[in-house]
Amino acid sequence: MKSPAAFFLALLLAGVSSLAADTPPAHRLYAAVAMTKAQKNSATPTDSGLYQRDEHGEWSYFGPRVLGIASLAVQPGSHGQVILVAIADGVLRSMDGGRTWRKTTGWDVADVRSFAFDPADANRVYASTCWGPLRSTDGGATWSLAQAGLTQLYCQAVAADAEKPGRVLLGTEDGIYRSTDAAKTWARTEFPPVSVLRIAQSPADPHLLLAGTQGRGAWLSRDSGATWTAVDPATGTSNLYAAALDPRDVHRLAVGGWGVGVRVSADGGATWTDRTAGLPVKNIFVLAFDPDVPGRLLASTFEEGTFYTDDFGRTWHSAGLDGAYVFDLIFVPTAR
Amino acid sequence: MVSQLANRRGFLVLMLVMAQGAAGWAQSQQSACAVSLTDADITRRFLERREAVLAQAIGTIDPADPTKGGYLEVAAALQKGVKREAALARLAVINRPTPNANMFWAYPMAAVMTAGRAGLDDKAWARIQELWRTYWPNRGDTENHWAMSYASLYLAAQTCPEAGPGQWFNGRSSAENLAEAKAYLEHWMWVTTNFGQGEYDSPSYIQEYLIPMGLLAGWAKDEVLRQKARMMLDYLIYDYAVESVEGNYGGAHSRVYPRQIVAPGQAPIAAISWLLFGYHQQAGDPANTILAMSGYVPPPILERIARDEVHRPYVERELKRTRWRMRNAGPHSFVIGDKRTVPVYKYSYVDRDFVLGSTQGGLLQPIQQQTWSLDWRSDKPVATAANTFFGTQPYSSPYEGTMFFGGDWDTVSDLIARSKADYDSEDKLPGGSPYEQVFQQGAALIALYDMPAGNRFSHVTTFFSRDLEHTTEDPSGWIFAQGGPVYIAYRPFAAGVWKPNDWTHLLGNDAKGFIGSGFAQWGLGSRCYVSDALRNGYVVQVAPVRAYASFAAFQAAVRSLPLTFSTQAAPEATFTTLDGSVLHVRYDEPPTVNGATPDYDHWPLFDSPFAHEERGSQRLEIRQGGERYLLDFTKPLIQETAVSCPQP
Repeated sequence: MKSPAAFFLALLLAGVSSLAADTPPAHRLYAAVAMTKAQKNSATPTDSGLYQRDEHGEWSYFGPRVLGIASLAVQPGSHGQVILVAIADGVLRSMDGGRTWRKTTGWDVADVRSFAFDPADANRVYASTCWGPLRSTDGGATWSLAQAGLTQLYCQAVAADAEKPGRVLLGTEDGIYRSTDAAKTWARTEFPPVSVLRIAQSPADPHLLLAGTQGRGAWLSRDSGATWTAVDPATGTSNLYAAALDPRDVHRLAVGGWGVGVRVSADGGATWTDRTAGLPVKNIFVLAFDPDVPGRLLASTFEEGTFYTDDFGRTWHSAGLDGAYVFDLIFVPTAR
Repeated sequence: MVSQLANRRGFLVLMLVMAQGAAGWAQSQQSACAVSLTDADITRRFLERREAVLAQAIGTIDPADPTKGGYLEVAAALQKGVKREAALARLAVINRPTPNANMFWAYPMAAVMTAGRAGLDDKAWARIQELWRTYWPNRGDTENHWAMSYASLYLAAQTCPEAGPGQWFNGRSSAENLAEAKAYLEHWMWVTTNFGQGEYDSPSYIQEYLIPMGLLAGWAKDEVLRQKARMMLDYLIYDYAVESVEGNYGGAHSRVYPRQIVAPGQAPIAAISWLLFGYHQQAGDPANTILAMSGYVPPPILERIARDEVHRPYVERELKRTRWRMRNAGPHSFVIGDKRTVPVYKYSYVDRDFVLGSTQGGLLQPIQQQTWSLDWRSDKPVATAANTFFGTQPYSSPYEGTMFFGGDWDTVSDLIARSKADYDSEDKLPGGSPYEQVFQQGAALIALYDMPAGNRFSHVTTFFSRDLEHTTEDPSGWIFAQGGPVYIAYRPFAAGVWKPNDWTHLLGNDAKGFIGSGFAQWGLGSRCYVSDALRNGYVVQVAPVRAYASFAAFQAAVRSLPLTFSTQAAPEATFTTLDGSVLHVRYDEPPTVNGATPDYDHWPLFDSPFAHEERGSQRLEIRQGGERYLLDFTKPLIQETAVSCPQP
């Protein structure tokens, strides 16, 4: 529980729609967005790219002005210097904390969606793309296709197991595939043959994974992805784009989707509660727990802003990004 | 070998320029055609039009007004060495703001950097380099986007081959950008000449392929790439000419915009056909400007094919492919490299007065597919002539959107409709449907529809243009009409209602600009026959007016044709065409003609009196009269026989 002072401060800050924290955060928050709400009579949004939130809760543009940015990752141990950005044109890499950028993929890579650094080897990084997964063994400087064992190449989500080196999960059009050799080969898991939209691993318990799917709701694994169980029957036929696990409380989970809003579980997925009240729409694309503020959960809606809650969804407060289609919210350890 | 051919073509053009006014080599093969089709006359006329294109472009630059003209006009003025100061002043204005048009910025900029290079001063060059360093022109997501992006990047990098990573927006050196661009462009040519183009036969987007190939043909220093680009120009223009009627691109198309599907002369190909073959009238077009600056001259055989009246009518079969399918690829998909696609079987009946052409139906392209159409010769003004007849099953679904785009299921249709406002409209006219299957034989086709209940739009629309005359609903169930020189018979399997081609609610939204501007001139007055039976279909039989003594005689002939159909279960029909072929179709089953199923496994890349190429050939041998013109992309080289007198 927060201290009274912190609680009072939080109330004040909520009143001015600020995300400012009472202590310097250990993480910086980035958002990969496209400003689609203002997109009229155009095939492209009015603005697109990465935004970073400063210590006062304000958002500012970060990185290259490129269309189709889907996500960002920072190489562990690089002190924020080695940054990868997933874009429609391929992979962008910065070696100097974002001052200069270089495209590290060729013409044959497109529509990159997400990254996962291997916790056991910071030079090993995996990427999901709409045309198949990629792997790199040099921190994203060069990439190779990683398609062996896959029957359908489309993949939207990738997760590197925090516990076992070289074990990678891939969310594809055909369910979840798993690799035990650092994405050199893949094998299908016992998962329904549906598109997997998000895979999240619990920072508190690496055996625990939560997946959101297209049309088949949320699925939970308690054995590092070997087996999966459907959870929250109320969303069993929904498209769930968002999944998050509280880094401080292994029992607290959240999922979100189209027409679903935000649903939370405080008992490890056994029961779920609708926490949409207070949000302007029920269309959720991203959920993320703030690693610096215990219990804080962020939710991004489709074009109606991003919000946060400090009471597990009972009340919501604006976190900005109005008009944005947020593809990812990424907390990155600050370089200290 | 390459340079020999290039030199030969250059020499021919030079000689023709010098010999303008000299007697032609031979009389036209076209006894009824007013224009001479000798090599000399064809080339002379093209060169005259080319000069007119450049004159028009340069004329746009106004020394007294630096707000006039775009990059291409600047490039033309700088290339010709006229109005240099005014062109540079205009360029400075255009270059002032940060660009935002991505590949549509990159290609005209590449033209300035190449065609206009000699006229650029240091200040302009420095700003150009600064823009390439600071502005990221997104590569886009379509085949034409990539062709334009990489051709532009290639030529831009070529101008400063020693530039390092810090001088480019993407942090890659000139050498790296050159290598990446060349690799993609050669891959695209390889796929196209092996399996067919993905964004095939578009009367709109042919422009976006002529542009990059024209740029490379004009200015690529790599001799092989330059030669391949010239060959691709020949290839693309042949692909168009062989299915054209009086300059219009007939048959089925990968992509066509709503105004172009209603009034075919609204498509860029109308202006391009003027430069290439002298059809219609001069109009500003970026592909024309680039081709004119590039020095490319089409081989005369292409105009002889476009204007052919000896071999017509003929059947043109072509193999194309769908846009790459990232999801929902389906059981008929196959892999090229690591991308999935599905074969597209094109079939066109090309008459001297019309083209009736089709594909097999299904979802072949996102958003703007035209599965079949009839286009005819017209004496009406090109911009407003509605000389077309076609059908569609309006379909809109995230299933389609996620097949071709990386968007999310719940937003993809919405985001598509923000730029293609008709996409999610029940009144839409372009678009493919997974519930549509079409089969054509000669001048007849049968379309079948089997829609599930709950489909977003569960009707079939057939477009009856305002240019049709004598439309008659016959008691026999046939609907007869005349479109200029072609008689049309249309037999719906289920009753429909007539609705005006009214886009009122489309025109009311924010996307009305491109879709609806000028609608009163080119869109009003047409109507649609709309039938909402889930199981449905129709037969179309057309014939040239010249083949019948009267409209009544045509109607009588059609009424007598055996036709049975059923929509009780899977829709099916058996129809004996005017040429005596017996067609049998049943939804989801292979069609037959006189009991035999067409050999789709060996459907050729091209097949007509002018060319026959199997899939995988990487070549195109064009034949016409005694001529032979070979494009061999495996070498690469062009071989042509000495031009003979192409008498029939």
